[in-house]
This record gives sequence, structure tokens and C-alpha cells, in this order.
Amino acid sequence: MSDASPPLPPPARKRSPAAAARSRTGFAFVSPAMLVMALLVVYPLAYGIYISLFRTNLLNRWDFVGLTFFVQSLSDPGFLRSLFITALYAILVVGGHLIVGVALAVVLATQIRMRLLFRAILILPWLFPEVVVALIFRWIFDPIFGLLNHLLRSVGLISTQVAWLDDPTWAFVAVVGAAIWKGYPLVMLLALAGLQSIPRDRYEAAALDGAGRFGQFRYVSLPGLAPILGVAVILEFVWWFKHFTIVWLMTKGGPVDATNVVSIDIYRTAFQSFDFGRASAMAVIVLFICIAFAIAYRRMVPDEQA
Amino acid sequence: MKLSILSTVLLGLGLTVAGHAADEPVTLTVLSSTIVEGPEGKAEQGYADAFMEQHPNVTIEFIGVPANELYAKTNALAISGEMPDVFLNSPEFMAQADDLGIVADMQEVLGADYFDGFAKGPLAQSVVDGEYQFAPWFTIPNTLLYRRDVFEQAGVEPPTDWSEFRKVARELTVDTDGDGQTDRWGFALVGTNNGSGAGRFFLVLRAHGAEELAADGDAWTTGFGTPEAQAAFQLYADVVADGSVPPGPLQTGYGEAVSLIASDKAAMMITGPHTIGAVLDQNPDMAGKLAGALLPTVEGVEPDINLGMFGWAIAADSDQKELAAEYVRFVLERDNQVAWNLATGRLPTRLDALQDPQIARPELAGFIEAAEYGYQVPTARFYPDLFSVAGDNYQAVIIGRKSAAEAAEDAAAQTGRLIDNNR
Repeated sequence: MSDASPPLPPPARKRSPAAAARSRTGFAFVSPAMLVMALLVVYPLAYGIYISLFRTNLLNRWDFVGLTFFVQSLSDPGFLRSLFITALYAILVVGGHLIVGVALAVVLATQIRMRLLFRAILILPWLFPEVVVALIFRWIFDPIFGLLNHLLRSVGLISTQVAWLDDPTWAFVAVVGAAIWKGYPLVMLLALAGLQSIPRDRYEAAALDGAGRFGQFRYVSLPGLAPILGVAVILEFVWWFKHFTIVWLMTKGGPVDATNVVSIDIYRTAFQSFDFGRASAMAVIVLFICIAFAIAYRRMVPDEQA
Repeated sequence: MKLSILSTVLLGLGLTVAGHAADEPVTLTVLSSTIVEGPEGKAEQGYADAFMEQHPNVTIEFIGVPANELYAKTNALAISGEMPDVFLNSPEFMAQADDLGIVADMQEVLGADYFDGFAKGPLAQSVVDGEYQFAPWFTIPNTLLYRRDVFEQAGVEPPTDWSEFRKVARELTVDTDGDGQTDRWGFALVGTNNGSGAGRFFLVLRAHGAEELAADGDAWTTGFGTPEAQAAFQLYADVVADGSVPPGPLQTGYGEAVSLIASDKAAMMITGPHTIGAVLDQNPDMAGKLAGALLPTVEGVEPDINLGMFGWAIAADSDQKELAAEYVRFVLERDNQVAWNLATGRLPTRLDALQDPQIARPELAGFIEAAEYGYQVPTARFYPDLFSVAGDNYQAVIIGRKSAAEAAEDAAAQTGRLIDNNR
């Protein structure tokens, strides 16, 4: 038997009264913001997760089902397909925004005539409500009264009235196109601001090194825009992954399930089937996908770029 | 005179007991889908205005919502504790409303005797577990609406079976202005994946001899998996393949189909008499050119007609039930029912209004006949889920993604799962 006594724990550090007071003051200052965050962000999220554990009509029926809806959703081919459609939709829309937005920003950053007028016009899609955009595009693609068929027929490219939104592929292209048209101005504005913050001497140096316009764009503009575009990609992807309005108003997720993005699936489950627990489970899965995307993106892109 | 004074005092006491003094400003909220439609909205607002004129202290505030969003809106309002005092209910939704516990005891609120004044058909469809869920307001027996003048010009009669229907639809698909392009089609197919599209498909399904959902004792069964259902799915594929349907049937909802009829681009549509009012609202030149006929069926099958009924329910948590009941009774008064019919084509439900000679005008004859074949909408809580089951599958058949047999089999399997999940 050893007579060595065990080492004594280090004495607890005692905070001075002044430090404790500073800490209390700090909490007092941040508590309003924390309260607002808790009410507007944490509570709805926590309640959504709570609902997903019940078979409920949110009024008088609350049957606890645990993780059943999560398991069922993740093994439901229909839900997995809607996730795939949503991911494809979000990637194409965000990609379209980056290409169109950056291209137009580059043009607007040059000393073209009537630059201000072009800026004002090109920002218009962003100012339209999504409902209006969807209805405009729906009219454009209308087989009988639509502008697209009228134009194509007038130049002899088609001879019959094509029902674009009845074709699964074209319907998907149409909703992606409408979403790109609606959303590119945000990226355009961000990219324009980014381009204007790049010092001119970098372009001059690149020109001296023999870089042409494309070379200057490739080696000066794009690296200079990377931090802004990095943030834009995260925000845009998460936004369009959850998008509902334009797709719902243009195709209702059809034909069949060709444009059935996950937000439509969730809406139908909640407000047509009135299966709120299952809908909440699906929404929570989407939440985790968006969080996972943001984390993965931050890890892939170096801090100095994102 | 004494009796009159006594009545006034009692009425005043009654209103006070109901939660407010007679002259205290009161707002009655009403959730309605017809208020956002034309010409219905104008007529409905007219009743509200007349009621407010009789009750200067009352303000009627409508919450308007499109018909296809009505149930979702009702559900959302119920969940958020914002139920209006009065709301539209229907046989398709009443089981869900009953499950939510949002409907007041209608017999108690309106009086048991009041329900004796309704036609039996509509009344029978407003009951869940022996309790009235709403006071029937109108029916719109969904059957075949057709262009009488176009049929006469073409020398054809309304079809009575489906092969005849396809033949007539093909014959009526024509190039009216001779520019080499078809500009009028035989049949405006409502192919959207929602209640408007699915409700019409159910009629075609039943006219082939299959039922989307049927009670079997205490359980539910579906006829989606039958050869009759396959034939119904195949019909949708065939009429589109025939070229008898305007381009874009999957995007053709009720509103678009009405516009096609109103703009002389379609000759037939499955719908109720209210469409006559909606068409005339868009194109008054169509007056006298529209009529109803019984829906075609396969041999040996009688048509099953969805009465397309809506009625007024009073919210269980309304603190103005007495006033709400007074408003409902007012809207259902004989003169208002007849005026509603004249403005919109929707058929009354009160016996006294149904006896009015103006109701039996020629353009409504086919619809009135069809009303005799009204069926009881299944009172399953999950019934609205069948809309997307049907919609997904008839759309898949129309665009050629599934055969009719595959669609019928898939619809049966999906409905089976719904039945199992809701045992």
C-alpha cells in the first residue's frame, strides 16, 4: 500500500469582482441580440425538429414516432429524386448566375456609352417579384398565346404549337432559365463592386507582361473576385436549394415530377397531405444538407479566398 | 305591438348574450374561394354589402383564396389559431376539418329544423359520423359542358360513350380560319396535377366503372388497379394523341380551360354549370351557346357525378356564432340563392330556391339532370392525397412516361399505402 497522497487539484481560479462585473455587463449587452436570435432563429428551428418526431396535425393529434419520418424519407425514392432534382436545379441556377452575372459585370465595368442606363436596365429582373417573373415566363412558354412559339413560328423554326412546359426536359430548362433571369443581378452587382475595387495597376502590370483581355480577366479579375464570388456561391446555393415560388407557379413541380424540387415536395406533404411531422423531417434534412454544403465549401476553399 | 317589442328585446338580449351589444361594431371574417372568382366574387360581395346594410354595426371581412389553395389555407389558419368565423367547407375536406375539430355544432348553431330545408342529395354529403359539417350553399354537378352552336354546325350530338366522345372530339378539332393551323380543339382537358385536374379524372374513372376510393365496411379499397381504371388512363393518352386537346394539357388548369372555351378554342370540357357564368364573364357573345349533357360512360355503367358542392361552416372557436349563423342564413335565403344562380350558374341547395322556375332554364337542364347521379364523396381524411396520386399518373400517361397499365398499377399501390398509413 502506498502512502503517497494523491496530488491535490489546482486551486480554482477566483475571478476578481471587477472581472465578474465586466462579464455581467457583457452578457447584459449581448442579451437583447441573443434573445432576438433565440426567438427568431433558434425557437423555430428547434420547434421544426420537435415536430418532425411526431405524427401530428399540429392541433389535436400528437403521436410520437421518433425518427421514423427521417428513416422513411431517406429511404423514399421519390424524396431522394426530389433532392437530386433540387441539387441539379441549384447548381445550374447558381452556375448560370455566376456566368451571366460576372460576364455582365465585366462589360459594365468598362467605359461603354450609356453605362448607367444599362446598369439600371440590367438590374430590373432583381426588382420584379418572383410571382411576376414566374407568370411572365409562363406566358412566354404558353403553347397557344406564348411569345416563344410566336417568334419561333414567325422565323419558321417550328410549324406546330409546342407545349414546352409539358415536356419534362424543357420544363426543367424553363424553370432554370427563369430563375437565372430573376437572380443574376445580385451576382452582377457583387461582381461589379468587386471589379471596381481591384487596383488598376494590376491590370497595367498584367498588360505589360503581355496579358490580353482574357488573360487579364483570368489572372487579375477572377482572383480579385474570388472572395466575393465565394460568399455569393454559398448564399446563392442555399437560397436556390430552398426555392419554391418560381417553380411552383410555372410548373407545380410537373410534368409528373420533372421539376419537383424538394420545397414543393415539403409543401405538398404539409399542406396537401397535412402530414406535418413528415414534412418537418424533410425540411430538417434539407437544413442539414445546406449546413453540410456551407461547411464543405468553407473547407474546400481557402480562407483567404472565401 | 307588444309582441314586436318583446321580440326586439329578446333579439337584443340574444345578441348581447352572443358576445356583443346590438350596436357595438363587430367584424365577421369569412374565408371564401368564390370571392376571388368572377362573376362569383361580385355577387358574393353583393350579399355581404346587403347584410352590412341591414346590420350597420357589422363589417364583413373576406379572406379570399383560390379554390385549389382553400384547404391548405384553412388548415394553416386553424393551426395558427386564426380561424375565421365562417369558412367554406366541402365533402372533400370535411373529414379533415372534422379531425381538426374546427367546425362548430352546425345543428345547434343553425337549428335542427333549418336542415330540413335543404335538398336531400347535397345534405347527405355534408355529414361525418352523423354530424352536419356545413350548410350546403351550392352544387356544380360536374358533367359535360359543350358548345351547342358548334355541335349543331358540325351536325353531331353530345356523345354518350367514350369511343363516341373521341370521335366527336376529333371531328370538332378544326382550322376555323383556314390558315392551315388548328385553332379550335374538341376537348379542353384539365390535366394539371391538382384538385381541378384530379377531380375531373375521378369522374372519367367512375364513368369507366372504377372508383378511386370506396368504403368496404370499416375499411377503404381502391379501384385504381382494375382494367376499368386502365381504360380511363388510356383515354387521357388517346385524346391527347388524337390531337383533339389544345396544346399543353398538363398546364391547362380550370382557369385556362375556361379561357379556351371563352375564346372559341375548345368545344367541350368536363365541368359544372358555374363555367357558363365564368365564360360569359370573359366573353358575353357566348350567351346561349353553351349547354350541359350527361358525361359519357362505358356500356352498363351509370354516370357518377361529383356535385362539386361547397357549403358554409362556422368555426368552433368563433365567439360570434350567432351572428355567423345569421349571415349564413341570409346568404341561403331563397332570393339570394336564385340571384346567385342567375349570376353564376351554380345550383341552389335550398328546396324553396330549387322550385323557382328561373333555375330550370334550358342551358342548365343537362346539369340539373346530372345532379340526379351525384355520388357520395368518400369521407376519408386522406382523400385530398388522392389528387396527386391521380395527377402524377395521368400526367405520366399523357407524356408517355408510363403505360396506362403501369399508371393504374402505381396509383393502386400508392393508394394502398395511403389506406394502410391511415388505418
